[in-house]
Amino acid sequence: MTEAAIKTSSGYAKMVIREAFSQISARIGLLWVGVIAFFAVFAPFIANTHPYLLKTEEGITSPLLIHLAPVDTIVLSVFICIVVLFFLKKHLMFNVLAVTSVLVIASILSFLLIQPPQLVVYEKYREMEKNGKIEWVINAPIPYSAKDYLRDYGETGMEEPLASNKRIHWLGTEQSGADVLSRMIHACRIALGIGFVATGIAMLIGIILGGLMGYYSGVVDMLGMRLVEIFEAIPTLFLLLTFVAFFGSSLYLMMVIIGITTWPGYARYVRAEFLKLRQMDFVQSAIACGLPLRSVLFRHMLPNGIAPVLVAASFGVASAILYEATLSFLGLGLVDNPSWGQMLNQAVQSASFYWWMAFFPGGAIFFTVFAYNLMGEALRDAIDPYLKKKT
Amino acid sequence: MIPTLLGITLVVFIVMAASPGGLSLQNLVDTQGLEPEAKKAIEDYYTKLYGLDQPAPVQYLRWLNKISPIGFVFDENGEIDNFSFTKGPDLGRSFIYGRPVTELLKERVPITLLLNIITIPIIYLIAITIGVRAATRRGEIFDVGSGFIMLALWSVPTMLAGVLLMGYFSNDQYWHFFPTSGLSYREAHDMPFMPHWSNPFEPVKLLFGILTGASLLIWLSAKAPKKIRASVLALLGLILGGWVASSMAGEPGWFLISIISLIIGAIFYALGDMEYASFRTLTMGMIGMFVGALVAGLTLEGDFVRGFLLDRIWHLVLPIICLTYGGFAFLTKLARTSVLENLLSDYARTARAKGVTEDNVLWHHVFRNSLLPLITVSASLLPGLLGGSVIVESIFSIDGMGKLGVEAVKLKDREMVLSLTLISGLLTLVGYLIADIFYAIADPRISYD
Repeated sequence: MTEAAIKTSSGYAKMVIREAFSQISARIGLLWVGVIAFFAVFAPFIANTHPYLLKTEEGITSPLLIHLAPVDTIVLSVFICIVVLFFLKKHLMFNVLAVTSVLVIASILSFLLIQPPQLVVYEKYREMEKNGKIEWVINAPIPYSAKDYLRDYGETGMEEPLASNKRIHWLGTEQSGADVLSRMIHACRIALGIGFVATGIAMLIGIILGGLMGYYSGVVDMLGMRLVEIFEAIPTLFLLLTFVAFFGSSLYLMMVIIGITTWPGYARYVRAEFLKLRQMDFVQSAIACGLPLRSVLFRHMLPNGIAPVLVAASFGVASAILYEATLSFLGLGLVDNPSWGQMLNQAVQSASFYWWMAFFPGGAIFFTVFAYNLMGEALRDAIDPYLKKKT
Repeated sequence: MIPTLLGITLVVFIVMAASPGGLSLQNLVDTQGLEPEAKKAIEDYYTKLYGLDQPAPVQYLRWLNKISPIGFVFDENGEIDNFSFTKGPDLGRSFIYGRPVTELLKERVPITLLLNIITIPIIYLIAITIGVRAATRRGEIFDVGSGFIMLALWSVPTMLAGVLLMGYFSNDQYWHFFPTSGLSYREAHDMPFMPHWSNPFEPVKLLFGILTGASLLIWLSAKAPKKIRASVLALLGLILGGWVASSMAGEPGWFLISIISLIIGAIFYALGDMEYASFRTLTMGMIGMFVGALVAGLTLEGDFVRGFLLDRIWHLVLPIICLTYGGFAFLTKLARTSVLENLLSDYARTARAKGVTEDNVLWHHVFRNSLLPLITVSASLLPGLLGGSVIVESIFSIDGMGKLGVEAVKLKDREMVLSLTLISGLLTLVGYLIADIFYAIADPRISYD
């Protein structure tokens, strides 16, 4: 009974999603995000200085697996969990619970059990190869890590794509000498992570506050809307700058900061939907049945009011990625970790212009943002009854 | 307005107070490595500034009183002396510059405002011309194409556009058409405001060139058959493209030159081929002016002083392009939806049934109604523009409040950051107010009691 009820109640959102993704543009967007997600999950296996397998006099080792960081294993296990759930086709609540529990268990286990070597010497494999110590080796497709600055090659720095004949850099190297393609692949994780987590936080705050505002209306609504107005009146970038100035900027902090500065949009949408829904019969009957507030808000009202939030979330992920890129571009974001924005920042320096540092990271930001915007457009068209009526 | 303003100050204060360590002396100033007297002086300064020995709500009120232009004046012992209407806001001192923040803001804010005020009309002009056309040609190639291009433009990060424009058009490696940084050259400050020529006939020649070019192309757009129009324009594009390509730094090969001139020729051909008469005439007129000025400029002789105005405009071209494209990409979609909604509405159908021509329906009935959502959005455009100017100002090193903010964050100049956030919120509120006024002008039904 309950399962059937949930199925019917999430029907509208499902219908909207199905309709949106029947459009070719939304599918292309989804495909691009899928590619980025693939790179994000398998980044250490695609671009890594540590070889997959290494045969020396001491025997066969797998330096790549030894150097796998806890974060890598967490991402991998969550990815596997999502793939399995996709084929199991359980309902939404189960999926969310399963992913969360896998995330928690994987994080605890990984941080307890996995301790990669603290000191990483990327140059040692190349030196071993030069000295003839390696019998055979299987390298990653791109044999450079994100933080492998190629110090053993001497003076490394900005290099055009395929400029050197000693080593292959498909997209050139950056200022510090690291491979651009490798750094871009590793940066996928940060871009996607920021996008999802920041939007998730913003949505959570927005849904709760907006839901309460819409449900209670009256004084609560008025106070809440003033809060929304206040946050909307301060330009988000300036608010972000303020937060960064006072709290500093690490990856996780940046997610939280972008989350708590972008929630008002979601609150507005949820409030508008809930104001409309609260007078409807099914909500009134749910209240009359004496259901707890939590149940009325999130079980009965939210599934019917979630569609505009989905649209906003799709655009929101795009803008969260943009905000991270902007902060990194301005030199206020991540320092050593790869990030598209920070790489783009190196494109123009004093009097020189390095085109590959502009086109590749900039293009990655553009296509990712564009992909999310395409999906958002398609979702918006799907929930717009006006457009449907007239066509 | 007033509650929102108070709310903004409260948010700013809470951010300040909730930062790690909160409002304590150790966190406000980095006193390490200073002499004991200097340390003591800074600590005293801050204790007095924020009343750090008092509870948080009192601190907030004191701070609020300090930053407001009217309020109580305190004497040296921290007691209320009297109430003053002319005390002026005190936003503290900047650590990087060692000057009062208000003084710095007075220098920097006008520059950012200049950028934004130039940007807004351009955004609206382009958005309305394209949006209206897309709505009237719903479902046709112009609509679908412009919709896709606008969405793509909207997704282009400002920093990518800025970096590319700067890299290609203000750099010795490619084309050095525009200055690299700043808003004017130093020598421009000594120049007269308007451009000057030593020979009085030169400006006449230039004006003649511009007028001839513009009128020729406008005539071509309005009167000539489509095929001739398109081919003349394509030829012009090829020549212009060739000129642009050959003026590139270094020795561009024939291949590159022909590619660039072909691309520009194709764009010009598409423009000449376009059915949208008013847009075509406008663009062609501008191209004519440009080409006329160029040709006349090549024949000019004698000394020429650029003048402050021209120098400023020359510096502003690239930053303004960076700031506008995102805005009009966003507004075009909105303009299209809003015009479309009104075109499909009952009153438009009634007008058509009366026998009003489609043009009159559009411009006399629908257009004014469709402006309302655009005006509403203008208020929320301003925060985006202020944010965009942070990026643009740091790319083109323009000394506006955005660049100031980034510097302040980097060097942990907290009072500066807070003041900038406050000012940006204040500016947005003023923007809201102006939008409300325009709203009332555009729609006589609206009244604010």
